[in-house]
Amino acid sequence: MQILEKSKLDDFLQMLAKHQPVIVPTDVDGLSQYAPYQAQMTLLLDGKPTVSPKGIFLPQTEAIYRFKAQGKNLLIAEMENQQTPQVLFFVRHCDVQGIVCLDKVFMSPEYTDQQYAKKREITTIFALRCNGSKESCFCTSMGVDPEKANPAAADVEVYDLGDQFAFEALNERGEKVLSQAAELLSNQDNVILPPVPERKLQLKTEGLPEKLSTTFDAPIWNDFMFKCLGCGTCTYLCPTCHCFDINNKLRGEDGLKLRTWDSCMFDEYTLMAGGHQPRTGKKERIRNRFLHKLQYFYEKHQMFLCVGCGRCLTKCPMNIDISKFVQQVMKEESR
Amino acid sequence: MTKATAQDVLRINCLTPTVGVITAIREESSDVKTFRISSLDGLKPFTPNPGQLGMLSLPAIGEAMFSITAQEENSIDMAIKATGHLTDALHQLEEGQQVGVRGPYGNGFPLEYCQGKDMLFIAGGIGLAPVRSMIDYCVKYRENFGTLTVIYGARSKEDLCFKEDLFEHWPQVKNMNVYVTIDRPQEDWKGHVGFVPDYIKELAPTPKVAIICGPPVMIKFSLPALSALGFSDQDIITTLEMRMKCGVGKCGRCNIGSCYVCLDGPVFTQEQLKKLPAEY
Repeated sequence: MQILEKSKLDDFLQMLAKHQPVIVPTDVDGLSQYAPYQAQMTLLLDGKPTVSPKGIFLPQTEAIYRFKAQGKNLLIAEMENQQTPQVLFFVRHCDVQGIVCLDKVFMSPEYTDQQYAKKREITTIFALRCNGSKESCFCTSMGVDPEKANPAAADVEVYDLGDQFAFEALNERGEKVLSQAAELLSNQDNVILPPVPERKLQLKTEGLPEKLSTTFDAPIWNDFMFKCLGCGTCTYLCPTCHCFDINNKLRGEDGLKLRTWDSCMFDEYTLMAGGHQPRTGKKERIRNRFLHKLQYFYEKHQMFLCVGCGRCLTKCPMNIDISKFVQQVMKEESR
Repeated sequence: MTKATAQDVLRINCLTPTVGVITAIREESSDVKTFRISSLDGLKPFTPNPGQLGMLSLPAIGEAMFSITAQEENSIDMAIKATGHLTDALHQLEEGQQVGVRGPYGNGFPLEYCQGKDMLFIAGGIGLAPVRSMIDYCVKYRENFGTLTVIYGARSKEDLCFKEDLFEHWPQVKNMNVYVTIDRPQEDWKGHVGFVPDYIKELAPTPKVAIICGPPVMIKFSLPALSALGFSDQDIITTLEMRMKCGVGKCGRCNIGSCYVCLDGPVFTQEQLKKLPAEY
């Protein structure tokens, strides 16, 4: 492993920033999120940012193509994909798993989303091994290992040793970025790693997808629907929610086709031309969201589309809590 | 640009359409028009199987998924009912208009399963559009199928789509019977009057493979009628529609349970649908 004194972190990041943009967790106008690194910036090294890193790969608004609609004529031109490499720093293991979930959707064998795939290709991800569990963290219940970042997305594992960081490259791409600041790093074998704190929230999830497959018409949904405001906060903060809408921005005859984040909690999401609405109310929408995360996605990919980061339970204005839902389902025989 | 193939769709961003041109527009009924679309160099934009879908767009207005009702050597046809923002705008278009087009998407009808079998097609209103792609296929490869029966209904004489097929082409095909009905009596209509589910009961076809598409209320009452006649769930095949944005299983909204209608559908057997939540 390669050791960096914490006091040298700023030098280390500056050195890397000479080679490519570096993205770090920080506070922007009171909202913690991932943002481009600048010298002497205050980094968020405890806990996770409120806004997940999904926007690095699936931006809130992103142009898909340009067009010009002039009378009967139409021109369509693809957008140029960003080519410059970048480094994304200190991604918690739950959020690393979130990126693995997004990969399943956007880099599926049938249709690869080129814009997403390009951003994944150019981004080296430094995972940060968990150094503190919050009341709302339940990653271990959702198949996330707080000891070891999912290597399907992480390129370097970072260990917090107190006064030092230890870096472990998980692949060649990670090694390459570390070599850019080799002079600040010292090699050390037999690094003693501090224990990962135990999750305070531990849910039983064995057999959960199977159990949920029989709850579609169960009354449990009524316990969760009444409180929901349909505000969509849960979906925007969720590191795995990936639903999007396609819109345009027009200036005269010139237009940009945009992909924008959408939310399954909104009425218009499934409303069809002619007025047919397959998911008529809040109950149907909450049910679809929870079942997508805990049953439907699992049936397709053998992993949950929830990583137990706890953002939705702490930020929901009405305290709707997916972990309580899981506990209730596992406790009750479908009543 | 040459003919776009499925490979091209993979090569370019999967959400970016190619430019096509509307070469012909035909009025089918009071609110349905069929648009014939070719690529800019006069070729077929893509080659769909019967029952597959395509995205059609006026980029400044919107994009939506439609069934491909027919195809010729160098074109595809989409029959579209004016029922919303985009479809109303499409109905204002003239020939020569360039549009965005991408596809084909979805599974299509189970061609192999239907080989050699007697076929019953049931449709209501614009629901004949996707079913017609399969009827066309059976007519084209007539010797590969048994008897062909069509039961089609619309609100009125004016709402009947594809009249040439219904009254001229299909009745002349060997071993093919076409039954047309309208909801209420009308002057100078000598054909059958009544709803499709009742007409099914009256005609009482023997069990075979049934392909059915139409408004939800027609489907709702036709399915029990078919079951009562002894049609198996495996042999009742329908094609669904849901709101779609991407067409490639990513934007999220067209799911029914763990299936995406754009990828795993739009064609489902009654047997498959019974295993999915009734949320469509």
